[in-house]
Amino acid sequence: MDQTQTVEGRGSEKLPHDLVIVGAGPAALSAALYTSREDIETLLFEKGAIGGLAAVTDWVDNYPGFEKGISGLELSEQMRKQAERFGAKIELGEVQKIEDQGKLKKLTTTEGDIYAKTVLIATGSEYKKIGVSGEDEYYARGVHYCATCDGAFFRDKKLVVIGGGNSAAQESIFLTKFASHIDMLVRSSLKASDVLIKELVKHKDKITIHLNTTTDAIVGQDGKVTKVIGTDKNSGQKVEFPTDGVFVFVGLLPNTKFTEDSGVELDERGFIKTDIHLMTRVAGIFCAGDVRSGATLQIASATGEGATAALMIREYLETQERGPLPQPVVGHPQLY
Amino acid sequence: MPKNITIFTTSTCSYCPMVKRYLKTKGLPYNEVNLEDHPERQDEVFKASGAMTVPITIVTKQDNTQEVVIGFNLQKLAPAIA
Repeated sequence: MDQTQTVEGRGSEKLPHDLVIVGAGPAALSAALYTSREDIETLLFEKGAIGGLAAVTDWVDNYPGFEKGISGLELSEQMRKQAERFGAKIELGEVQKIEDQGKLKKLTTTEGDIYAKTVLIATGSEYKKIGVSGEDEYYARGVHYCATCDGAFFRDKKLVVIGGGNSAAQESIFLTKFASHIDMLVRSSLKASDVLIKELVKHKDKITIHLNTTTDAIVGQDGKVTKVIGTDKNSGQKVEFPTDGVFVFVGLLPNTKFTEDSGVELDERGFIKTDIHLMTRVAGIFCAGDVRSGATLQIASATGEGATAALMIREYLETQERGPLPQPVVGHPQLY
Repeated sequence: MPKNITIFTTSTCSYCPMVKRYLKTKGLPYNEVNLEDHPERQDEVFKASGAMTVPITIVTKQDNTQEVVIGFNLQKLAPAIA
């Protein structure tokens, strides 16, 4: 018997969950807040950090309601508490498979099989690997993807940050708390916001930005990273950056592996397609946040999508229970 | 039940509270070492795990054998504390 059924008393075929949310990032927690508040019994499954990528972001300046900004970890914690206040339950575990059985959805999880009337996929994305030699070999031993987790290991050390978007800029600024110097390797031009670019400039004593510079290899010796080899695209010359560690922020990869064979449709980049009601091709399976095709990859828009999905799920559940409302008949408005 | 569980953390790490939360749900006590307060113990973590990351969870079993779990990895943490 799986733990979820025992603890919650829900999740069996006879007594399925009203809603299982896969993930516990901003979209998921926002949806859970709305559904729980309306007495839709809601269980979230999270295999990583509650708050998702928002939780590993050092500082969030563009989420409304926080004049001075807020740490990603604190924002995530507030969202979690708010959702739990209305009864949302968060289970630590991984959803491995979703099977559409018509009115019920069967979820295979690390905690056992559970059933739900509706599912919201809000698994977000994770940072992409860059795909160069040395990256896997030195993973977590000099090659890192989470500055707030691993930055403290590089006190007074030299670092290379790879990437030129908002995450690379934000995390480079965070890493100046520890590193003696940072070389930021940007394949083309900076894609970060103007505000972050200004912040980078303020840290020019510690951060050197190398535009039009590819990353070709991460090299080490005696089990530790020693340098990054790249190419200056302007001159075509090889360039070397001696370093003690590398942080990679080169884009996002959607977390959708578990949706294989579920019937959910993905776009050409692997993000989940939905209709305007945020429902996937499978009736009763919804999607919101960074994992959704067309998402704008902002915390604020993710929470908005979560709220929208919750309202659509409520409507879906009501329709399932009462059947569809009769359609208005033109010319006979008095009937309704 | 393990003899001892020690979690190495930092205050900005978002995966560290997840390990603590998981152990609490299992009713298991643990010791926490914040590496920002104890930077002198970073080498110890690296030697034990081969990794420069947190959380690192070291589970000492009743027979004094140890298992080291890197990150918040339920597939490794769950059997390690079983």
